Amino acid sequence: MKFGKRIKEQIQESLPEWRDKFLRYKELKNLISSPAPAESIFVGLLNAEIEKFNAFFVEQEEDFIIHHKRLVEKCGDNDDVMFREEIGEIRKDIVNFHGEMVLLVNYSNINYTGLTKILKKYDKRTGGALRSPFIQKVLRQPFFKTDLVSRLVREWETTMDAMFPALTREVEGYERSAAVSSAAAGEGIFRNTVAALMTMREMRRGSSTYGAYSLPPLNLSDSDLVLRPRHVPSPIPIPY
Amino acid sequence: MEARPVQRSGSMVLSNLTRTTTSIPSNPSTGEESFTRSDNTQFISKPLGQQTYHLLSSNNNGAVGHICSSTSSGFSTNLHYSSMASHERHGSSSNDTSWCHDSPHGGFLDFPEASHVEDGGIGSAFDDIQKPNDWHEWADHLITDEDPLLSTSWNDLLLNTSSHSDSKVQIPPQAHQTVQQQPSPSVELRPVGTTSSSSNNGTGKARMRWTPELHEAFVEAVNSLGGSERATPKGVLKIMKVDGLTIYHVKSHLQKYRTARYRPEPSENGSSEKKLTPLEHITSLDLKGGIGITEALRLQMEVQKQLHEQLEIQRNLQLRIEEQGKYLQMMFEKQNSGLEKGTASTSDTSAKSDQEDKKTDDSKELVSEETRNSQEPESSQAKRTKTR
Repeated sequence: MKFGKRIKEQIQESLPEWRDKFLRYKELKNLISSPAPAESIFVGLLNAEIEKFNAFFVEQEEDFIIHHKRLVEKCGDNDDVMFREEIGEIRKDIVNFHGEMVLLVNYSNINYTGLTKILKKYDKRTGGALRSPFIQKVLRQPFFKTDLVSRLVREWETTMDAMFPALTREVEGYERSAAVSSAAAGEGIFRNTVAALMTMREMRRGSSTYGAYSLPPLNLSDSDLVLRPRHVPSPIPIPY
Repeated sequence: MEARPVQRSGSMVLSNLTRTTTSIPSNPSTGEESFTRSDNTQFISKPLGQQTYHLLSSNNNGAVGHICSSTSSGFSTNLHYSSMASHERHGSSSNDTSWCHDSPHGGFLDFPEASHVEDGGIGSAFDDIQKPNDWHEWADHLITDEDPLLSTSWNDLLLNTSSHSDSKVQIPPQAHQTVQQQPSPSVELRPVGTTSSSSNNGTGKARMRWTPELHEAFVEAVNSLGGSERATPKGVLKIMKVDGLTIYHVKSHLQKYRTARYRPEPSENGSSEKKLTPLEHITSLDLKGGIGITEALRLQMEVQKQLHEQLEIQRNLQLRIEEQGKYLQMMFEKQNSGLEKGTASTSDTSAKSDQEDKKTDDSKELVSEETRNSQEPESSQAKRTKTR
């Protein structure tokens, strides 16, 4: 049930347009717990979900590619970019763009994870062996192939260094920021990201059904600074 | 936070893995980077399709057989699922020839029971299934013909399908079969992996996967035609000269491009206000710490970086886990068929559960422990054979 709760939270924290694009984990679980879960129905629903993931993912990716180029043009080639007036705007653009791309990778991952879990549940319930070969198929799906988006993410991480002044007293600033950010996190990318990280940490904590297909515990030594306040605060209301 | 050692026997390798991952967040040197990257490439190059198929045909409780991965496109298997629904609906084996599995009908025995499933619980969960309590009708939506490729109901589904609509639960139309592009950046102008059975049903709605390189070519073509306002999809298509690229693809891409140009905000999703919010909040609140926008941005960036890093690690682990599972399964199959030719029928289920136990016990052993694993099932098999 932990995962079900977690994915629900993530969906709630996610960007509005994304919310109905996630795996319908709870519904699938309900299907499985019905008296005689029919494999054809279950598989059919899974396929529909996968199709949904693929369509959404590929479309987002296309948007990212277009936006990526625009941002590159905006940044230009000059070394003095950091001193331009609109640098604040550019930085914000970059960070948000980076964030959205990471969230897409997260989207892919959480749906994949959900699929593995629901398949495991199905096999457990029906004594079937659907999981392994089905997952093999999933691994080949477009939504799972996040290489391009990840590549862009890393590119912008590198570019960012040119956009930001060099850090001094980094650790101090970090901790100060961490305490503040927890109080200040509002809706949007930041909140979604924090929620995603917390989900990952939770999922990797080890479980009662730890087995051959389980992931090892997570290590997020640095992010403890950011995630130490365990609960993401309620959103600050935004006047529309 | 130290990684906790995995608390299963024989999990040495995984502890190594976690130790490695321990060091990654604090020291993202190229050493660790290459750990994740090289594994990535490893997986991509593994030929999975053939193995999986072999696996299926030899280990079959019936439940698994309908996943035919012998085709290259992941989507093509969807066809088989829908065909399977058709199969079950008619309750006969007349469709066998359109299948690529040779399992007994065991897997299909589930379906007749499904007709009795009128559980409101499921129905309420899936509001968007028409007549949720009547699975027969639902299955009817999927099939009208022996060969779903030709059935007209597919056309209807296709025409109604848009990339954002999941309001109806639909088995994916086969048109999407045509797209399975390798997204690696080195692939330049190869947008679509068309299969021989690609059937767009005349709507041309095959999905397209763009790359930065392809987009570059697109932009150049557009510019040479006088800009995004002046350029026409036909003109762009002609200039780009890319195989498999249809005017439909170009048209929708051009539309996105135009929108992005004339509303050059960071948001692709429309609500840029939402995006600005976290920053505005951070800076507009009365923060004694004096955190400025730059710091807030930096922090946000850090968190995002963390998440991405962890996602990549997790993904690699997941891939390895599946690889390992697949390998063990195959090894087990080999021994199973080799040792128990005479008793194969009776030992199938027990062999399966035994194997699952093995997997749980030797949970996290990766490549270096494989030989040891492969010997264990053999010895347990031998034991069972003796005691029988």
